[in-house]
Amino acid sequence: MYRYDTIDREMLADRSAEFREQVGRRLAGDLTEDQFKPLRLMNGLYLQLHAYMLRVAIPYGSLNPTQLRKLAWIGRTYDKGYGHFTTRQNLQFHWIKLADTPDILDHLASVDMHAIQTSGNCIRNITADPYAGATSEEIDDPRVWAEAMRQWSSLHPEFSFLPRKFKIAITAAPKDRTAAKVHDIGLVVRRARDGQMGFEVIVGGGMGRTPYIGSTIREFLPANRLFSYLEAILRVYNRHGRRDNSYKARIKILVAALGAEEFARQVEAEWEKVGASVDLPDTELARIRGAFAAADFDVLPAVSEAHERAKAADAAYARFIRNNLKPHKKPGYGIVEISLKTVGETPGDASAAQMDAVADLAERYGQDDIRVTHEQNLVLPHVRLDDLPEVYAALKAAELASANINLVSDIIACPGLDYCALANARSISVAQHIAQKFADPDRAEKVGELKIKISGCINACGHHHVGHIGILGVDKKGEEFYQLTLGGSGAEDAAVGQALGPALPYDKVADAVDTLVETYLRERQGAERFLDTFRRTGVAPFKEAVYADVH
Amino acid sequence: MKALTANRLTDGEVVFWRQGQWVERFAEADLFADDDPAGEAAEGHAKNQPKVVVEPYLIDLVESEGLWAPLSYRERIRALGPTNLNHGKQTEGGAAIAALKHAHGASRSTGRVDLIKRK
Repeated sequence: MYRYDTIDREMLADRSAEFREQVGRRLAGDLTEDQFKPLRLMNGLYLQLHAYMLRVAIPYGSLNPTQLRKLAWIGRTYDKGYGHFTTRQNLQFHWIKLADTPDILDHLASVDMHAIQTSGNCIRNITADPYAGATSEEIDDPRVWAEAMRQWSSLHPEFSFLPRKFKIAITAAPKDRTAAKVHDIGLVVRRARDGQMGFEVIVGGGMGRTPYIGSTIREFLPANRLFSYLEAILRVYNRHGRRDNSYKARIKILVAALGAEEFARQVEAEWEKVGASVDLPDTELARIRGAFAAADFDVLPAVSEAHERAKAADAAYARFIRNNLKPHKKPGYGIVEISLKTVGETPGDASAAQMDAVADLAERYGQDDIRVTHEQNLVLPHVRLDDLPEVYAALKAAELASANINLVSDIIACPGLDYCALANARSISVAQHIAQKFADPDRAEKVGELKIKISGCINACGHHHVGHIGILGVDKKGEEFYQLTLGGSGAEDAAVGQALGPALPYDKVADAVDTLVETYLRERQGAERFLDTFRRTGVAPFKEAVYADVH
Repeated sequence: MKALTANRLTDGEVVFWRQGQWVERFAEADLFADDDPAGEAAEGHAKNQPKVVVEPYLIDLVESEGLWAPLSYRERIRALGPTNLNHGKQTEGGAAIAALKHAHGASRSTGRVDLIKRK
C-alpha cells in the first residue's frame, strides 16, 4: 500500500489547520454561508437533511486496518456509530457536527486520509478494480496507475475548477468491476502484440440526467504517455465544457455534441502540444510501483483440507463460499467479498464494530489489505483457503456473512430521501423491501446474478441506469414514485437500461421486482442470467407481467 | 397552516421557530395561519440570523390525528429522522411523533423548490 511522505503529511496538516480557521470564522459570523459553502464542500462537508455529511476519500477503494479502525472510531465518537460506503468507493458519515469537523480532519490526517476532492468540480476519487493485485485476470496492478493519477490530480491547479465534476476509473482485467464505461474517463489496461503495455481510453461515459456509454477514443495508448494524454483530454474539456449550464457541463455532453471522432481529433492535436514533458518518469513510476509490491504469498497446495472439510460439514459455509469467494492468482488463496447487504439492513452501511471486525480479520488473515467495491461491499483480497473457516466464523459473529454477492439482494442504493438534500424519494427502504422478498437464500441462488441499483433522484448516485433492474425515485406531486428500467449494465458489456413503463408508487415496487424475477425464471433458457434473458426477449414479456399485475 | 424551519449552523440539526428562538421539536413550533403575515415576518427575522441557522424557510402543514404535521414527505422525514433506522428526533416517541408518522398528504417541500431554484 502507498504511504504518504513528509510533503503529503504537511499538506494535509496545512489544509486541516486552514479549515479549522475557516470554520471558526463561519461560526463567529465573519463568513457568510455563501462564502463558506464552497470552502466546506472542498473539504467534503455537505449539509444534508438531518446534519452535516462528511465524505471521506478512500483512494481507489484501498484501506489498511489502521485506517479502517480510525473510520470506526470516528463513527463511534462523532457519528451514530456507523458509516456508509458509497459507489465511489468512499465512506460517508451522515451525522456530523460542523464544529467537530476540524478535529475529525485531524484524526483522518493522522492515518493519511482526508476529504479533499470528494466534492466540487474537480477530479474525484479514482475507481479501481477491488480485486487489484489478487486476481489472475489482470495485466498489471491498476492501483499503481490509480495512485499515480491520485498524486497527479490532487490539488492540480489547472483542474481544480473544471466545468463539472470529473470521475476516472481504471481496470486491468477483462471482467470490469469498476463501471469504467460510465465514467468521464475509463482506462482499461491492454497489452499489445509486442508485449508493450498501454491503455484503451474511453471517454464521455456517465449517468445522471443524460446517461451515455463512453466512446473509445484511443484503442491503445502507450502506458508511458498516460499523463500527457489525460492532460490533453482535460484541456479540451476545460476549453469547451458548458460552464453556463450545469446540466450540460459534464464531458459526456461535450463528447456527444462534438462526436467522439472530432473530440478525439482535438485531444490528439492538444496532445501534440502538451508533449512528453508531463509524463511520469520511469523512476517515479518504479517508486510508486514499489509500494504495491506483491504480497508475501506462501507456496500452498491448491486444495485446502480444512476448507474442504468445512464445506462438506456446513451448508451455510458452503453457500458463503459459492457466492462470496472469488479465485485468487495464487494457489491456496482466495478473494473474500464481505457483503454489506444483510437482508433488512441499509446497503453499504457498516457499524463501527463491523469495521473493527474487518480490520482485525485483515490484520490476522488478510495481509493488512481491505478494499471497498463500487457496489458498496468490502473485500479481503488475500486470504489463505486454510484460514477461511475462521474468517467465515468471525464474519458470522459480526453479522457480515451474508452469502449474496451479485445476487438479487446485493442491491446498490444511494442514501436517498432519508438523508440526502437532493433526493426526491427514498432508496434505502425500497432496497430493504426488495431484499426481504428474496430473503430465502435458495430462491436468491436460483435467480442467480441480478444487479438491482436504486437512485433517489436523477443524479444517479445509485447507478440505476446500469442496473439489470434500475429503479429511479421521482417526485410526482409530492408523492414518491419509481421508474423502472431493465437491461442496464455497468460491466464490460455496459448498457443503459430501457424504461419499463409508467412509474410505480412506493408500495408497488418490491412486488413489481418480484414479478420481473418470476417472468425471467419463466422465460430463461439454459444458464441465462436475467440480463441475458432480457436481451433475448426484449422488454415485452416483463412489461406485460408487471402492468397486468399493477392495473 | 405553516411553520418555519431551518438547519442549525453548528451541527446541522433540524430546528423550528418558536417565539424568536429555535427549538428541535416540531411539536413545539409556532404555527402561522396561511394568511398570517407573522410567518413571513418570522422568516425575515430568521434570515438575519446567519450565525445561528442555515437556509430558513416556511413549510406547509396538514392535520394529522388532531395535531399538525408537515405536508411534504421530505419535511416529515426532517421532523422525524430517517425511515431506515430509529435515529434522529423520532427516538423520543410519544403522541406528537406518532402523529407525524401517521400523517398523510403530499406536496413538494418549499425547501426543495428553493433548492431547485438555487441550482
